[in-house]
Order: sequence, then C-alpha cells, then structure tokens
Amino acid sequence: MIRRYGRLLGLFASVETQYELEYRVNLAFNVLQQLVVTGTSLGAVLILFSYTSTMNGWSVAEMLLLIGTYYIVQGVGDATVGPSVERLLEHIRLGTLDFTLLKPANSQFLVTMRHFKVRNLFGVLTGLVIIGIGLVQLNGVLSPVQVLSFSLALACGLALVYCLLLCLATLAFWFVRVENLLVIYGAFVDAARFPVDIYPGWLRLTLSTVAPIGIAVTVPAQALAGKLDALGLAAILAATILAWTFTSWFWRFGLRSYTGASA
Amino acid sequence: MIATYRTLLVGQFQQASQYRVSMFLYLLFSLIRPIIFLAAWSAVAAARGGAVGGFTAADFAGYYVCMALVLHFTTAWNAYEFEFEVAQGRLSPKLLRPLHPLHYSVVENLTWKAFTALGLFPSLVVIAITFHARFDTQWWNVALFVPSLLLGAALRFFLGWVVATAAFWTTRVNALVTLFDRAQFIFAGQIAPLALMPGILQAISYVLPFGYWIGVPTDILRGGASLEQSLVWMAGQVAWLVASYALFQIVWRAGVRQYSAAGA
Repeated sequence: MIRRYGRLLGLFASVETQYELEYRVNLAFNVLQQLVVTGTSLGAVLILFSYTSTMNGWSVAEMLLLIGTYYIVQGVGDATVGPSVERLLEHIRLGTLDFTLLKPANSQFLVTMRHFKVRNLFGVLTGLVIIGIGLVQLNGVLSPVQVLSFSLALACGLALVYCLLLCLATLAFWFVRVENLLVIYGAFVDAARFPVDIYPGWLRLTLSTVAPIGIAVTVPAQALAGKLDALGLAAILAATILAWTFTSWFWRFGLRSYTGASA
Repeated sequence: MIATYRTLLVGQFQQASQYRVSMFLYLLFSLIRPIIFLAAWSAVAAARGGAVGGFTAADFAGYYVCMALVLHFTTAWNAYEFEFEVAQGRLSPKLLRPLHPLHYSVVENLTWKAFTALGLFPSLVVIAITFHARFDTQWWNVALFVPSLLLGAALRFFLGWVVATAAFWTTRVNALVTLFDRAQFIFAGQIAPLALMPGILQAISYVLPFGYWIGVPTDILRGGASLEQSLVWMAGQVAWLVASYALFQIVWRAGVRQYSAAGA
C-alpha cells in the first residue's frame, strides 16, 4: 500500500520535473525573481532591526532562523500541495474532477499530490542558507535534541500548511464561483514572516488556529533558537493530529456535495 | 466620452456584483501587509521603550491605517492582466475598437475600488481602534490629501502601464513586474514610514517615483508634514505623473507598432 503510493508519488514528481526542465530560461528567471524577493524581504527586516537589537525577544540572528524557516515552509507548500490544490479548484469548477475520482487511488492523495512546481524548491534552498547564516551568527551548534525537535516541529508545520490548503480548496464545493479561495492563504502566509507573538490577540489566534500558518513557521524556528519547550512541541503535535483528522473528514464531507459539472 | 464611461461603468458594476465574494477576498491584500508591519514596528517601539525616531506605537498605527487606505486606492494590477492579454492574443480585438484599451482598465480599476471600499472602511476603523491609532490630521491635510491621492493613483496607474507595455517586446513581463513590485515594497513607504528609512534608501524613495504614490499621500493624510513640505511633495507627484504619462505615450506607440499578435 505505502509502496504503491510511494511509486505513484515518484512518478508524478519525475513527470513534473521533466515538464519543468523543458523551459530552462523560465527556470533561470524564476530563480532570479526569488532571489530578488528574498533579498528585499531580508532588507525590510534589517531596516526594522537597525532601530533595535531585539523584537519581542527575538534577536537579529534568531530572526534569520525564523525567516529561513518561513522560506522552507512557503517553498515546500508552493512546490508540492499548492499547485495540485490550484488545479483542484479548476477541476471542481469545470466538473473534470470526475476523472480523478474514477482513478483507483485515494482521492485526497490524488488531488493534493499530483502536480508539482519543482522550481519553487529553490525557496527551500535559500531558507536553508539563511538558517545557516543565522546559526553562524549565534555561534551556535545545534544539539541533537534541538535538531530532533526542529525536524518534528517542521514536519508538523508542513502538515498544517497541507491541511490549510486542502480545507480552503474543499470550500470550493460550496463556493464554486469563488475562483480565488487560495488568496486567503496567500494573504496569511505573508504574516508568517514575523513571529506570531508580535501580533495582537485576534490575529495571533487566527494564525494559530483557523489559518495555522503562523505557528507552522514560528514553532520550528523556536526549536532552532532553543526557545521551544516540551509543552510547545506536544501542543503543535496534538494540533497537527487534530487538523489532519479534521481535514480528511472535511474533504470526504465536501466530496459528497460534488455533483459534477452538468449533472 | 462621458457617455462611454457611463456605459462601461454600468457594465463593470453588473459584472462585479456577480463576483462579490471574489472581490472582497483581494481586500485582504490591502489590509494584511499594513497590519504586519504595524505590528512589527509596534514591537520595535516597545523594545525601545515607547518610540522610534518620534513615532510612538499610536503614531505607527495612525500611519499604517492611512497607508492601508492609500495602498488600497492607488493599487493597479494592469501589468498582470496585460501580459495575459498579449500572450493570449486577446489584445487584438481591443486594439480594433475605437476606444484605447487603457479606458477599460481605468473602469475596471475604479469599479473594484468603489466596491471594496465598502469593506475597507469598517476594517480600517476596527484597526484604528484596536491599535489605538493617533492622527494629527487638520482640515488642510484632508483638503490636500484628496488631490494627492488622485495624483498618486494616476501615477501608479501609468507606471503600471509602462511596465506592462514591455509585453509587446518580451513575454517575460513577469520578471519585470516582480522587480517593480519589490522596489515598491521597499521604497514606497510600506515596510517603514519614509521618515524612518535609512539615509540613502530615503533619498532613493524621493528621487525615484516610488515614494510619491503611497508614502506622500499617507504622510499628508496623517498630518506628518508641514504645509510647505506637503506642497513640495505634491509638486513632485505632478512632475512624476507628467513624466510617466509622457513615457507611457512613447512606449505604447512604439509597442503597438512592434506588436504582432501571438498566434497570428
């Protein structure tokens, strides 16, 4: 079972990579654009830090760890689930989801893991570099416990992004005419570039519950900065299990409202 | 011309009312970024014991509430659509019509802003209250703000078209748009009030057009500058508007001559 899905995933990924490599100049431009975006974002944060040495307890170096994590989470989302979910919206609108549903594999797997934009993985690379710079500045060597809790928290963060994207797309079963449901994700993702604790209560709550993109970035970064205790880690683990269970239920529930285009 | 515009506006309004939810979702973009940087600057102000270069947390709130308003009413997204229209060959029928394609874009832009204003104002009031915003606005600020906002919107609109017109020569406008967007991100007064930008960056904001459609109207509205200063800024707005309009005319004419519809 797992092997079968693993093979499917490998197949999808390799097809999409080949497709992407067809347009090499585009790829180069894309990398260039991502560099500009990353550079200017870092510039903005440095301007803020030219007036202070800490922001809500985060130093510049720790902030770099957060920004790096932000680019990893965003990059993985934009490279994997994002593109598939975008197509899902289109399929729901056009009624072509039928073809996916008829295939002999789990529908949730097919709608979230079918399409990839491999070039967005470059963002992950920049994220890792930024984290590296942050760690050097902190003169810090990561302890095995930190590495472990970071990996766990990051896995949870990515799973939370997956859940958020799929839930938003599932809403399309009821709001077919809203083509741009993913705009909500795009807007909130922007807010994750700063630690959630700087936001006022209502926004912090939104970024930790309904749109958990905030904790998806902040908690792994806390792990890297050595600010995460066992309780925090347990909390994000529990939240992820909860979100995952809800999401697959919500997907199946939404699917029941799907009637096909001309049906 | 007035009759034409009236017809176009009615058509757009009908179309827009079909996609109400869609339109309001984009409103998020006008609001989220100002809130993000407001929260960040508030944290910096708190870390410094209350103020950054004359800005208290309440001043930042006042600045960013005004900024969100200005950002919203000066937004123009033509570049994205224009590239699509050129690439799909959809521009060709528009070029054959007696009306310059620009006008459709103006009407779309106005309709969207008018519609979403309904959601914008209540949101801004809520933000102003929750962040305890402080404004130093006097009557002349409001009087100058209105023309300044219009100048800013027109400037942004024409500059957007200049960037978009590149689609006549290259299909990769996307990269150019990103550059323009990021320059706006840094220099327009989004990430920080222009007064707080470090020396050289502040100079760039006021020498290049970037400071003139978001930063200037915002500072005028919140009462962040003297009357003389405001008038000098507005002169800068006029100068850049004239320049960008002239530039648009030049690139557009050259572009249309160069244009051969995709797929033709």
